[in-house]
Amino acid sequence: MQLEGKKALVTGAASGIGAAVRKRLQAEGAQVFATDIHQTGDLIVADLTDADHIEKLAAEVGTPDFVINVAGGPVAPSRKNTLPEMPSQSLVLEDIDELQWAAVIAANLTSAFLVCKQFAPRMKARKSGRIVNFASIAARRGSDRVGVHYAAAKGGIIALTKTLALELGPFGITVNAIAPGFIATPRIEQAGWGRSSPEAHRAFLEAIPLRRAGKPDDIAGVVAMLCSEAGGYVSGATIDVNGGLYFGP
Amino acid sequence: MKTAVVTGAAKPESIGHEVALRLQKEGMQVVVLDLYEEGFPSLPGCRCVKCDVSDPAAVDRAFASLKDLHVLVNCVGGSWEITKDDLRAGPRRGFRGLTNCSLEDWNTIRAANLDSVFYCCRAAAPLLGKQGGAVVNVSSVAARKGIPPGAEGSSGPYAVAKAGVMGLTRQLALELGSSGVRVNCVAPGVIASGRLKKVQAVTAKGAGPEGPLKQIPMGRVGTVAETAALIVALCSDDTSYLTGVTIDVNGASYAA
Repeated sequence: MQLEGKKALVTGAASGIGAAVRKRLQAEGAQVFATDIHQTGDLIVADLTDADHIEKLAAEVGTPDFVINVAGGPVAPSRKNTLPEMPSQSLVLEDIDELQWAAVIAANLTSAFLVCKQFAPRMKARKSGRIVNFASIAARRGSDRVGVHYAAAKGGIIALTKTLALELGPFGITVNAIAPGFIATPRIEQAGWGRSSPEAHRAFLEAIPLRRAGKPDDIAGVVAMLCSEAGGYVSGATIDVNGGLYFGP
Repeated sequence: MKTAVVTGAAKPESIGHEVALRLQKEGMQVVVLDLYEEGFPSLPGCRCVKCDVSDPAAVDRAFASLKDLHVLVNCVGGSWEITKDDLRAGPRRGFRGLTNCSLEDWNTIRAANLDSVFYCCRAAAPLLGKQGGAVVNVSSVAARKGIPPGAEGSSGPYAVAKAGVMGLTRQLALELGSSGVRVNCVAPGVIASGRLKKVQAVTAKGAGPEGPLKQIPMGRVGTVAETAALIVALCSDDTSYLTGVTIDVNGASYAA
């Protein structure tokens, strides 16, 4: 219970990594405000590509100690379709039109920008805070699956993270990113990623030095670390959490 | 009871010292390998072994006495106070770059910072592989950006050796992953350790071995406690899916 008395905002908290992060920070004693565009349980519903929604969110949350920007994904949700199907096939350039490009950039990159823009000034006033953004292995090494829009948006997250770390450092705020590798979230399992055949799946896992897919809790542990004493002087970093599949920059 | 080996932990106010105390607090049996015997009484409850980890035979002897091992933290390093002869000498004045260091400096600094990590990892691997475990190495921001020529209390060979530690971390992660052994690294910037104080006692207060402190975006140096907490986290289940990774802990002064 090392985060008692602290307040956290977790976006994209309906399932998978976001849900695991929410649970972990709660277990550490933090008061967690959880949001998602998809209505589930007691989440605060918000479209983070819309600054008005974020302003309303801020009215509820106030000034958090931790902002964890998990929201995003290779397929952009909308208010009409809040839980779009994940692609079961690789997305190639020809599959991606301008609208999809814009929507995926907005869901993954603009959302983090707008959330930081809303909450960083509040943290600055208090001279403390920690922001954790979500990049992806797709931004580190490229990807043959998720499409250029998602990889580019996540690359943008890394640059946004480094720049905000410089800008907010003087105010005692750390800004870092986590770049997950293959994490077996319910949605990714459902889409059958890496499961074209049992042999292919086995070969895929064998190629990972730790010989397994990641779990949402593996990511939540790193978030907890960054929110603890261990994260006090870490800023501007992108932490690869991928079982050794790729060693970063 | 889990067993941990921490090298370079005997000097008070060092990162290794704090790591050893914290691992012990987590309930581990901690074995400290260090040359600095005067520091042993400051680690009550740890098993302190006088050992020059840049000597492969001494390392093999030290590990031969272990039945089990779950955690190895390689903290030994630096550009001075790294051999039995200069252990209490204080910072060497001036900057020894690659182009003006002696072959002896090159060998000594490389041996303390890189060879020692190889020897300890090599000796630890069979023990760690029995049930899985974690290795944490300590590199430096100097490996990322080099050291500005003229920086008091540092050296070119140090930057090179610390870059080697990152490469060693990645290679060992590949080799030990299937045994359930994770190998990671931290790369500290300027940390308020006893060593920094010694450098600042003979130079300007506003400068660290990696340059002027006012250039750190967070506006402060890191603490030994923060750095040790990060190393301990890399030994824990919180980081169970991390391997081969170097985490920069430098107050945003350099983003790899």
